[in-house]
Amino acid sequence: MTDSTAVDTSAPGVSPDRNANGGAPRNSGGTTGAGKAPSKVGDIAFKGISTLAAWLIMAILAGVAIFLILKALPAITANWSQNSELNEGPTAGWANFWAYSGPLIFGTLWSSLLALLMGAPVAIGIALFISHYAPRRVAGVLGYLVDLLAAVPSIVFGLWGIFVLRDFLKPLNDFLNSTLGWFPLFAGTQQGDGSNVISGTGSTILAGAMVLAVMILPIITSISREIFLQTPALHEEAALALGATRWEMIRLAVLPYARSGIVSATLLGLGRALGETMAIAMIVSPGLLYSFKLLTDGENPQTIAANIAVNFPIAGDLQRDALIGTGLMLFVISFAVNFIARWIVARTAPDARRRTRSRKVKTA
Amino acid sequence: MLERQNTVKLTSIAQGAAVVAVAAIALTACSSNNNSSGGATSAATTTAPSVDYSSLSGTITAGGSSAQGNAEAAWITAFQAQAKGVTINYDKSQGSGGGVTNFLNGSYDFAGSDSPLKAEQTTQAATTCAPGGAIDLPIYLDGVALIYNVSGASKLNLSAATIAKIFNLQITDWSDPAITADNGGTALPAGPITTVARSDGSGTTQNFTNFLTGMAASDWPYPAANSWPVEGNVSKQQGGSAVASTVDSTAGAIGYVDHSATNGLKSAKVASVNGIAFTPEAAGASLTDGAVPAPNGVQGDLSLKFDYAKLQASKSAYPIPLVSYAILCTQFKNATQGKLTTAYLGFVASDAGQQVAAKNAGSAPLPAATLSDIQKSLALVK
Repeated sequence: MTDSTAVDTSAPGVSPDRNANGGAPRNSGGTTGAGKAPSKVGDIAFKGISTLAAWLIMAILAGVAIFLILKALPAITANWSQNSELNEGPTAGWANFWAYSGPLIFGTLWSSLLALLMGAPVAIGIALFISHYAPRRVAGVLGYLVDLLAAVPSIVFGLWGIFVLRDFLKPLNDFLNSTLGWFPLFAGTQQGDGSNVISGTGSTILAGAMVLAVMILPIITSISREIFLQTPALHEEAALALGATRWEMIRLAVLPYARSGIVSATLLGLGRALGETMAIAMIVSPGLLYSFKLLTDGENPQTIAANIAVNFPIAGDLQRDALIGTGLMLFVISFAVNFIARWIVARTAPDARRRTRSRKVKTA
Repeated sequence: MLERQNTVKLTSIAQGAAVVAVAAIALTACSSNNNSSGGATSAATTTAPSVDYSSLSGTITAGGSSAQGNAEAAWITAFQAQAKGVTINYDKSQGSGGGVTNFLNGSYDFAGSDSPLKAEQTTQAATTCAPGGAIDLPIYLDGVALIYNVSGASKLNLSAATIAKIFNLQITDWSDPAITADNGGTALPAGPITTVARSDGSGTTQNFTNFLTGMAASDWPYPAANSWPVEGNVSKQQGGSAVASTVDSTAGAIGYVDHSATNGLKSAKVASVNGIAFTPEAAGASLTDGAVPAPNGVQGDLSLKFDYAKLQASKSAYPIPLVSYAILCTQFKNATQGKLTTAYLGFVASDAGQQVAAKNAGSAPLPAATLSDIQKSLALVK
């Protein structure tokens, strides 16, 4: 959050208990300590180390990109319909690389979008509860619990999905299909005899996306919570003084202030969902196809990361190149998501700040 | 205050330095280990089966097929109990493809693979193994089991044609006349069938589709492949154990897994195929009755393929056998390493070794004729 420090200095009214609650050390000694550097050697050394670190990350990123491109090129340029290796096993039956990666890109975006639709509102709700509704002690515990969720390995989520959530959702699947089956999202797979069947095993993209939603909760919650806590107390108090209810205060003072933060938190969650591998690979029964159906066994679009994970061990050299090529696509998508996130933040942040400032003037 | 901060910084730097130092020591330890392992001499000069295991020392690096992964783990434990100085690393996370790739670029002493080297890979291996070549030895025998979950059906028999129709979604209900006919006229309770397949590329899928194309070609329009070809109402799961647990928890499901993965099923049961249940004897019979050599041209190679017409003609052979190979060079760059590897594989291809795998990994012991062929091939390895 690049704008958080700016916000912080412009909001001296943040109440101390909020600060403690937010957990983020404001590093009050940071600026004063830098002025009294004990030795020049230390200064130079640390500058060198941090500069090196910055360059290192650039070099690593560039290295990854170059690796992906170099490894992917043979598969991207190969003649898929003629090549004997690409015509067997996991890459069989595709005209070219783009036709192969198309359904995977779609599947990645679709499952992430579903996860976001289910996860983001809950995450923001939790964040609001922690920052504005919960008693302080409850808020602290809840905050820790949500952060703890981030530490659960994805394979554990995968196992939970397989053994618990999959069976748990079966009645819901039946209910949705029997009452809303006319709606394409909840339709079943068309069979040879014209009947429609939904998943018998529960390995639906709905189950997968639900687990993804749980997995992206922590990051969205913790970032949104930080932003909510930084809302200038003056704004909130002013809203309340004008007769606003708690909800109206949140709507008028907190949400507009935190809008760009929520967007970037959501997009960071999206980034997590895009790259998630194990849970999806374990839970969802995948296919390389375009489908929006939520409740089937056979019509769940596969994601890029899961496809690489399940097919890499068996793949031959050129097939591996093809899988790495899809990895390159994921790299590009993640880059685009981050880029869009930054762009949105940059576009909305000054706007939001201006508004809060003008409002502050009004209330003062 | 300032001083305290300083000391804190200093100690943290010291800690960092300590960590680096420890890491460096660990690294050098690793490398020196590797060096010494190669240099250790072995007194074994006789053929593999009569090697004095206690005189061996060194490290074998291998990996590949996950189908033989459990068997390898059992073999390694049993072998290392006798050969205390030997360390064997078998990385089953590589899969057959990764195992072969690592073997071809020279980083493995042997690779585990569910299929023998392809022609172009054999050519490639001639460079890796120069002046020798690569040989494929069938060290692991198992079968692909069909598991089903139909309450009230404690026994089930399916013919190859019926299996093909079920997995190709032509038969979608358990009370279908074709299934009834396979079971001597006893109808199963009606209910929709859910087929469960592998989502990951797999040697199990390869062997199962080999069987379907070989024995039920008229009902199975797809080529044999290591990835599942049917689209539609198919539940695809990652890994054999996931297939087993999914069938186990889904009423009306049927799936295919390595027979060694069928232990611990609660509601699911194993079906007979063409009237033959999977037993170690039946699997052994499929090797003696149905396997034909498919040598790759290198002396000692024991690549084989199954003739499904012969398997079908046999009255005792299990129709969906699964063989997994060890692939190694006939000429090792380092003779000591060659002796070490052949000693280990010699143990694997002994009666004792096969029993260890059967007991711990649920595989079927190889017939004696195959074992003696493997020992002959290992004797050629230098």
